This record gives sequence, structure tokens and C-alpha cells, in this order.
Amino acid sequence: MKLLTCPLNGQRNISEFTYGGEYHPMPDPNTTDSRAWAEHVFFHDNAAGVVTEWWCHTASSFWFLAERNTITDKVIRTFDTSEIFNERVDFKVPDAAEKQS
Amino acid sequence: MKRLPAPYGLLINREQSISFSFENKAYQGLAGDSIASALAANDQWLLSRSFKYHRPRGALTMAGQDANTMVQLPSNPNALADKEPIAEGLQVMGQNYSGSLENDRGSILGLFSRFLPVGFYYKAFFKPRGMWEKWVKLIRKKAGLGVINQQLEPEYYDKQYKFYDVVVVGAGPTGLQAALTAAVDGCEVLLVDENPILGGSLNYARLDTEGTLAKEVRDQLILEVNGNSNITCMTNAMVNAWFADNWLPIICGKRLYKVRSKQTILCTGALEQQAVFHNNDVPGVMMSSAAQRLMHLYGVAPGKTAVVVTGNDDGYANALDLMDAGVNVAAIIDLRETPKATPMIEAAIKRRLKIKPGYAVYGAQQNGNHLSAVEIRKVVSQGICAEVGETISCDLLCMAVGYTPTYQLACQSGGQLSYDDNSAMFTLNNLADDLQVAGSVNSYWDLGNCLEEGARAATIATNALGFTQADIPEAMAKESQSPNHSWPIFAHPKGKEFVDFDEDLTIADIINATKDGYEHIQLVKRYSTCGMGPSQGRHSALAAARLVAAATNKTVAETGVTTARPPFAPEHLGHSAGRSFYPARRSNMHYRHLEAGAQMLQAGAWYRPAFYSPQADYGPSLDSAVCINNEVNNVRNNVGLVDVSTLGGLEVRGPDAGEFLNRFYTFGFVKQPVGKARYALLTNEAGVVIDDGVACRFSEEHYYVTATTGGVDRVYQNMLKWNAQWRLDVDIANVTSAYSAVNIAGPKARQVLAKLCSDIDLSKEAFPYMGVREGTVAGIPARLIRVGFVGELGYEVHVPQQFGEALWDALMDAGQPEGIKPFGIEAQRILRLEKGHIIIGQDTDAMSNPMEVQMGWAVSRKKPFFVGGRTISELKKKTPSRSLVGFMINDTDGPTPMESHLVLNGEQMAGRVTSCNYSPTLGKPIGLAYVQPHSAEAGSQITIRANGGVLVTAEVVTLPFYDPTTARQEL
Amino acid sequence: MTDYNPLLPIAPAQGNRRSPLYRRHVDLQAKFEQVGDAVLVSHYVKPGIEVLLAANLGLVDLSTMPRTGFKGAGAPAWAASQRVKLPKLPNTAVTQKDGSVVAKLSHQELLIVSNIMGSATSIDRLNREHLNREHSNKEHLNREHLNREHSNKEHLSKQTLAPQTYSLPRADSHSWLAVTGNAAAEMFSKICGVDLRVHKFAHNQVAQTSVAKINGVILRHDLATTPCFYILSDITSTEFLWDSLLDAMEEYRGAAVGVAAMRSLAANK
Repeated sequence: MKLLTCPLNGQRNISEFTYGGEYHPMPDPNTTDSRAWAEHVFFHDNAAGVVTEWWCHTASSFWFLAERNTITDKVIRTFDTSEIFNERVDFKVPDAAEKQS
Repeated sequence: MKRLPAPYGLLINREQSISFSFENKAYQGLAGDSIASALAANDQWLLSRSFKYHRPRGALTMAGQDANTMVQLPSNPNALADKEPIAEGLQVMGQNYSGSLENDRGSILGLFSRFLPVGFYYKAFFKPRGMWEKWVKLIRKKAGLGVINQQLEPEYYDKQYKFYDVVVVGAGPTGLQAALTAAVDGCEVLLVDENPILGGSLNYARLDTEGTLAKEVRDQLILEVNGNSNITCMTNAMVNAWFADNWLPIICGKRLYKVRSKQTILCTGALEQQAVFHNNDVPGVMMSSAAQRLMHLYGVAPGKTAVVVTGNDDGYANALDLMDAGVNVAAIIDLRETPKATPMIEAAIKRRLKIKPGYAVYGAQQNGNHLSAVEIRKVVSQGICAEVGETISCDLLCMAVGYTPTYQLACQSGGQLSYDDNSAMFTLNNLADDLQVAGSVNSYWDLGNCLEEGARAATIATNALGFTQADIPEAMAKESQSPNHSWPIFAHPKGKEFVDFDEDLTIADIINATKDGYEHIQLVKRYSTCGMGPSQGRHSALAAARLVAAATNKTVAETGVTTARPPFAPEHLGHSAGRSFYPARRSNMHYRHLEAGAQMLQAGAWYRPAFYSPQADYGPSLDSAVCINNEVNNVRNNVGLVDVSTLGGLEVRGPDAGEFLNRFYTFGFVKQPVGKARYALLTNEAGVVIDDGVACRFSEEHYYVTATTGGVDRVYQNMLKWNAQWRLDVDIANVTSAYSAVNIAGPKARQVLAKLCSDIDLSKEAFPYMGVREGTVAGIPARLIRVGFVGELGYEVHVPQQFGEALWDALMDAGQPEGIKPFGIEAQRILRLEKGHIIIGQDTDAMSNPMEVQMGWAVSRKKPFFVGGRTISELKKKTPSRSLVGFMINDTDGPTPMESHLVLNGEQMAGRVTSCNYSPTLGKPIGLAYVQPHSAEAGSQITIRANGGVLVTAEVVTLPFYDPTTARQEL
Repeated sequence: MTDYNPLLPIAPAQGNRRSPLYRRHVDLQAKFEQVGDAVLVSHYVKPGIEVLLAANLGLVDLSTMPRTGFKGAGAPAWAASQRVKLPKLPNTAVTQKDGSVVAKLSHQELLIVSNIMGSATSIDRLNREHLNREHSNKEHLNREHLNREHSNKEHLSKQTLAPQTYSLPRADSHSWLAVTGNAAAEMFSKICGVDLRVHKFAHNQVAQTSVAKINGVILRHDLATTPCFYILSDITSTEFLWDSLLDAMEEYRGAAVGVAAMRSLAANK
């Protein structure tokens, strides 16, 4: 069984973790075209090489990111989500509807 | 029972005699004996019959590495007789014969072996179609391996984690030395060996001409290992695989140890290989190491007159050992034309052993079921013998023609085994990080080299762990002399030169597989089944690779060997199963349900009451439908109480709580008034409905959100994942277990609750439908939510978990005059169906979008963003392909459709039923179904194919079925 | 919150707050005692024998004992302002002057369990202080809300609020069991993948992990020289966990013991 190092809880059996899919930035849902949005939702790169993935330590519900080489299955590093998401995200009100419900 | 005197017989206790039986005949053995060694001491060499031709077979390795010794134990088929210890009264039977082991009628199959060619199963039984079904029964009967005892009582198997800095696999000289060197201050070392005692080959091999060195080295190393408190030894323990990050499953007794090692050193040694010649499987033909094991470990002379066939010096050492034990050695047949004069050979010459250099054993002869003589012939060229030879009478033939490294664990770690055709040596490359090989598994044979290599591997390991900063010595020079003879394979016109003993495969079978077009070694394996038997190619892989290489004009290096996957040795299902854990979640009111006669069912880990069958009220044989309908009617007419503790509960708190919910769920929540609940529908990025609940706003910055029983954990994880990206100032906590909850529902609900609730005004005006309040119920702090899942006046009461039972008791007591009765989830499902409420996961599937399930009203169009929002706006542009509608069956004579029954449009599938029940309130079956958009209008007739193919006509109706003006729930 | 009649014998279900295991305790013929709000098992057999059992391997139900949790960016600073000694690192704990234990589950999350005497003074005080704070916050927010309604400036004064502290209902969401004795770590190795051996997992160290397939928090908090591990895990799975632990303990002659044995071991300096 593989080991994975949680930035909060340290090294644990991979059975303690939940896989959260590959990380890729979400295009702006209000401006991106349909094709690009469909690719974001339904298509996955499935790249051979180093990918960034979401992992959650299930017992502590702690989400973090991992760089993993999909060819060798080696985890290169794991890191806190704040490394990528370091500021509050806000969405622009679409022109058609200015008021919130 | 004959035994050699001590010090022969390291494993046996001569003071303790043990009686057992084999083939219903009584035998005596000694404590420490394996079944095979005890039988050998009684001159019983025949142990089993081969898989395909039922040929007689005896001990081959005496190390549990072959399938020749498989026997039937009362509790266990396919036990390895050379590993399994004898026990008092143990009843052992042979396997795989019809008639008797000595006289197997099935062995006649051997005479027809030319009708059982390689690939025989593929060729013979698949035409005409259906023939295989007929043949398979006969073949299974003939080819079965052992019998499972189905009356067996289950036994207790367990699993356990262990943690070590260094794990050394194999306790031969290399492993002992590696463990000793690794056991520096603070370093926890595990030394594990599959044998009952430490020492490996030092326990039976002859390393010098006098035959004293092995014992000296062994005694010294074991003394030091036993005296070292940093080393833990596990014997009789099989490291059965290598898994990622040095996770080693070790089987020992009835326990599977899950060992996590930081550094692993494989000192797994090497497996001696057989020579391939006519009748090389006859009992009495064995590995030279097997003969030495019999003598040194068990004190059993392996025969009276021996011939040794060899391609290395170990054969000479073996011959000297046999002579010392009083066995007459008739000749040493050396495959080499001009063996180099070494001390061992000189010692053999001095002892006047008859040596036949440049000769091979061409065939074996048998008398009854045992070896009686061998025919030897001069080797002319690779694999070819002279036309004539001579016959030597013997009852023992020892084979010492080479070894393959015990490479299985190393290869499971990603290592690659290579073979050099010139030197006949193996190497292992590309090993996993934190894993090393040392000793004969890495082609070092000299004792001094092995000890140095063991120490070197250990130093690399302790350096890597930071325990030492020692200089790492150079690897020892590769040895020039391989013990592997390059071609100990001699074809015979009558065949029966076995390459694979498990599967009865001969030289011709392997060659023919290549002729049939299967030239790749992996294809040869699958076509011929070579290496697929119980011993997993331990003795066939090299010979098969050599034959395939020669037949396809390649080198052995190019041909390679087949993959060796886990497990290394057979393991019991009990080891994999271990202790069973089936987590069970119980609400705080669990026992009140049982006391009230609830039939419980498991939903995920939760126990929930399906319905109550109180015997006092209805009698024992009451139909469940009657119970459920009574519960429904009591909610509609009086008041009912249902345990909804399993409902998910999430606290969403903080300045951005409303904003967060706005982004997460489809509805708008920012302007939701305090003191109100709002329906919360969750979609994923693909716009698919995945959960629902209600969001209760208890204050400006505090929402309490419910979620489905099965979905809450995922919803919670999703919430955290999204907010890891959005970074809103909000705290999210899963408080599902922290609350016990009930729904008190029915026209008299307010009346009952009012008796227990003094600090909340329950009047319709003060606490309207979809209102939420905090207060106390029966003195217990509570959150009250006026929701209408079942379509009546109702209050969900959520209290701290450990107050659940007290709350239940208080409500049941208070409601007695009103006729309060508990109801289960079966009644709840009918009640909600009458009200037209969907259940996520039952009435939705992995494609359902909000518009399809008539939830478009719950999707806000005014928000800048919510998960799934963009996809939903795209879906809205498309023509819908289906719609979830309510239907009613007016003709009540036919069968009531069930979930997943098809909705038909003529012959075509047009949808499916997702829920359907008899409605006690309406007096007819009602349900929900996906239908094509053109049938979605109220009044449309749809056809449902019910059980038995009966077509039922249903009428599409506007939802809800019950109380369309919502007067009752807003009472 | 609960009313007890001091004249009645102590029964496990006399109050509104009941351990999910109380029926198990009754089956084992437990003698109960009351500490503050909590009814818990004093002992099952003779207290003298139970000390020996507990020193080897004992299982204690502390589920009715006080415990709480706080979370949020402001939680550590707020707790410190309440004279709570804080652990420096996540997944470690600090024993407070009154014997209660404060564990840090992440940089922003605290778990606090009472001492085994059950004197909940500091936990009660913290809960009370936090509730007061929540109330004044709520009032402040309501005023803000009204101001915003009038001025229509959405983000007017939200920035001025101090970082938040949120309470967690640990006494309700999690059961609290203790595994005591020298064989505890060995027993754990059968049902938990974290190395809890005493020289690898220190006193007041915390592991958030899975025990017998149930997620939970393991906190090692020794009783003087006797190793002791607290398990705080999903309260609705308590019976399953209790049964699984007793099953795993059998091989080491482990047994359910009462809190009296824990106290004796703790006094055994």
C-alpha cells in the first residue's frame, strides 16, 4: 500500500485518503465559451507525467494538493492549498441579472 | 523409522514421537518433522499424483517450493507435505488419484499423452459451440486439486501492523550478517525467514571439504543475532509480496502482519533447478539441496545408493555429504567436460568417488513408483547425447545443475531480472528505492562475498536512515564461476522430460507452443500453462526460457522470464479476510425502536427502522404492508414520530456563510430571512442533481444545513474543497452525529409538542411553515424546523445527540392521548411520494438535471455563480429528452409496478419507474417515472411493463398527489 | 440542563444525557457514579482488581464526561485570552493546570477534554464565555444588518470584525473512550495503521486516523506511568467501536474497566 504525506497529519497509508481528481483551474464560467466549459467539466487530461491532484485526509477532512508522476506513480511533493489559492475568489455579476435573489 | 545420528536432524526432537496417518496407514514421526520428512524416515517416498497425467511424485525440494508434495489434510487441501509439520493424530491423504495413491487408474492418462498436446484445452473442446460445457465437468473431476471441507468451523484469523526501520528477508548467512550490521543504535531491525530456524543454507549446505565451516559460521552469527536487542526475528513467516513503499505482507500462523519497512534488504537466496531428462520426475529424483535438507534438518538418509548429476561444485559437496551419512554414492555425473580442479573436487577424488566428466543423465528408470536406475550418456553437444550409454542402479538421484535467484519480491518492486548467456549468471536491476538485494539472489555464492555484501547493504540502509554516516565499501567483484550449467536439458525420443512438474509439460510441449506461433515467453506461458501451477514457475521459468530462446533463435537474455506476481506462496482466504469490520451506526433512539418492534434495515452503516410490527397490537403474523399502511394513516389522521437522526447536518457559520451557500447550492440564500428555512438543491459541475436538504438560518451568520443520510459526508468534503479555492470567511462543520432528530408529523403534532415546549410560540402565525426556532423541548435544548416532507403539519426537532432517547420518550409520553405512533422509513417513503417529493439517488440518477426532475424553481437565475450554474444554463438551451412525472394507476386489478420497471412507447423503451407504491391515502398505486417529454402532460397515458411482462396503463398526473393546496402542511 | 434527584441511586439512564454504551455497562453489572452532569462507570468488578486489569489493558467509557472544541481563525488567540495554554504544533496537546487537556487538531482547531475527575470548570467556563461572545456578536451583527438596510452599503463594517471563533459540539458528535495499559499500543496495531508504540508516539501526541474503520482522534494521555490513549470518534458508531476494541483486546486479556481504576493509576506516581 502506498504512503502519502499529508501536510497536516504526516505520512499515512493511502487508504486514509480520498482522491479528489486532478487539479486544473476553472475557466471564468460567465465568459468562457461552451466548448471550453465542456472540456473543463467533462474532459480530463490523463497526462503521462507530473500532474497536480486533490487529496483529502479523510479522518481530518483536510484537503491538500499533491504532485504525482503518473508514469512512475511517485509522489513528488504534497502541499497546502494556500500555495495556489492565496486570495478570496469573487465572481462578477452577469450583465443580465444585477440583483441577487 | 530410521534416523541418522545427531548432529544430523537439526529440526527434530528425538525424544518426542508423534503418530499420524497417511493414506489411512499409521506412521510414527518426531516432533519437528514435516509430513514428507516423517514419511521419508518410514521409507514412504510417494506423496502425490501429478495434475494432468497422474504420475507418481515425491519430494523435490524439501523446501515447500514445488507442487509435488501437495497432500490433503482434513481442514486444508493442497497442503505442502514438505512444509506442513506433523501433528498427533493428523490424517493425511494423497491427492489427485482415482483408486489408490500407489495404484492410480488415472495414471493411464500418461499413455495417451500424445493425445493431450500443448494447447489441448484450446484445441480440443471449443468446437462445436457448447462442447466445453460438457467437457468441463469431466476435466474438473480428473484434474481437481484437493477437496474443500465444507463442514469446517470458521477459525479466527487476524491482521496486525508492524513498523521497522530495516526489514531483512531471509535469514541465511547474508541475511544474518545484514541484520547484525543494520542493528546499530536506535535502528529497529526485523529478520524474517520462512523456515522454522535461522541459518538458511548454513543449516544444510556443505561449504568446505571437512563439512565444519557452515556450522561454525551459523553458530557464531545466530549467537550474535540472538544477543542483539535491536533485532526481532520472525521464523515460519512468509514475506508473501512486495507492495508500494515497502509494505510487506508477512504470513505467520493465522495472522497477516502488515509490515511497513523503511529499508528492505532481500537476502532471499536462490532456488535450485532440476535437470531436464526422460522421467526426471520419478520419486527418488530430487534436488541436491533436498537431499541435504533431509539429512541435516531431519536426520533422514535420502536413499541407499545415490547418483549425483552436477554442473557445479555443489554436486561434489553433496556427494561428500551423502558419503558421510553412509549413503553409497555410485557416481558423480558432471555435465562439464573438464571441470576445474577445486578443493571440493580434489576431496571427492581423494574419497575415491567415481566421476564421469562430460556425461549427462539421459533417462531414469523406475521400479514400481520409485527410481531404480539411471542411464548416463556422453554429452556430444548442447543438449545432445551419444547414441549409447550405460545404466547405473540407484534409488536416489541428486540434481545440482544450478540455481535461479529468488527474484520474485525484487521483481514485484519493479526490478528487472537479466541473464547473461555467456556467464550463465543473473543480475537484478531497477530495484525500488529503499530496497536492496544481497547474497545469492544477487549472484554471489562465496560465503565471504555474501557476508561482505550483506554488511554492505545494511550500511547503505542505515546511512539512508541517518543512523550512520559510514563509508560504503565497494561492491564485491562479480564472481567468475557460475554454479549454473548453461544447458542441463536433454531431449529423449520417448519424451517425458519434464520442464514444468505442476502442469506436466515436457520439452516438446514448450517447443510446440513456439511452433503454434506463440513465440513470446508470455504467450508460451498462457498457451502452454507453463509456470501457471502452484509453484509459479520457480523451477520451470529458466528451462522454459532456454527452450524458447533456442527454438526462436534468440538468447535467453532476449527471451526473459515471465512476471512473478504476488502472492509468492499460496495463502489462506482467512489471511486476506482477517478480522471483519462492518461499521454500524446507531441513533441514540436505536433501542427504543427495537423495543417498539421495529424491523431494522441497514442504510449504509446506519441502522434504521423500516417499519414497526408491535405484536401486542397486531399479532405476530401481521403483514408488513398492513403495518406500514397503519403508520401512514396514523400520520395523516393523528400524529406520528419518525427518527431522522441519520439526516446530515452541517453548520455553516461566518460573515460569508450566505455567500458560500449561494455559490454551493442552486438557490439564493443571501437574502434568506433569519428564522426561515429554504430548500437547498445541490448540483455538481456537470449540472447533475447530487443532494438536497434545507438551509435553516438561525442568525445573520449562522446556517444549519441538512443533507441526505448517504450524501452528507461527500457534501461536506465538497464544501471544504470548494472553499479551499474560494477562501471565503466561513466555517463549515459536519455535525451530523452531534444531533439526534425526530420529525413529529400529523394534524395533532402541534398539540403534542405544545405540552413540552414552553419557550417557543408554536402558533401558525408565530411559527409558520418553513420557520425555524431555537428553544427547549422537554427541557432539552432543541432546534425546531417546520418542514413538510411527509405533507402534514410537522416539526423536525434536533437535539444534542445524547439527549435523543430522552426526547423520544418525552414525545411518546406526551403524545399518548393523541395516539402518537412511531413510523418507519417505509411509511415515510409512501408519505413523501403522496406529497410528490423526490428522493435524491432514488428518483434521480447520474444524469438528472434540475429541469428534468421539475426542480427548475429551485435554481436561481440571478446569481453570478453557483457550482453547476454554467452547465445548467447550457442544458436549458437544449431540448429536454425526458421528464420525471407523477403517475397513478386507476385500474387496481393488475400488478403494482416496481422501481426500474420500464415505461414503453410501443416496443421501445421510453423511460423507467423510479418509485411506486400503493397509496393508502388515495387507495391506488402511485409513482414517479421518467417519461419522454411528449407524455409528460397531465392526462397522458403511459404503459409500464410490470412483473411477468404484464403491461399496465398509468395516467400522468400533476404533482403532488396529495394536498395540492398545501393546506395540511401549513396548518 | 438536567435535573438529578440526589436521593435516588445513580442509574445510567436517569438523566437526559446518556452514554450510547449504557446498556453494555448494565449488562456488565457496572457500578455507576455521578460527577457533575455525568453518570459514568465507576467499576464493574472489584476496584482493586480493575487497577491491575487497567495497568495491563483496559477499556473505559468516558462519553458522558465534559469536552468541547473551538475552531476558526480567531480560535487560538481567543483561547489564549481565556488563559488556555496552547500546544505549539498541530496534533499535539498540552495539559492544563486543572488537568484538562487541550489538543490542537489544526492551526485553527482546538479539542478540549476534561480531567478524569470530571471537574469541568474550565470547559464550562470556556463554553459560557464563548456563548456570551456569540450573543454579543449576534447583537452587533443585527445592528449592522439594520444599518446596512438603511445605508445600502453592503461591506460597510464587516472588515472591522475580529477573526471568528466557532464552537464545536464535541460532547455530542464524538464519544470518548480510553484504552489503558502496557499492552495498549500492541492491541492498537491490530486495528490502526499508525505506529502508536510508546517510544514512537509521545504523551500528549495526537493522531487523526482510522481505528477499526472508524475515523477518530487518538490522544495519548498517560496515567502517571501507565500508557493511556483516548479515542474520540463518531458517537453513533460507539457500540461498534466498543465491541471491536474488546474483541481485539481479548488476546491480551484486556477488559472493560471503570474510571476508578484510571484514577488509581493516575495517582500512582
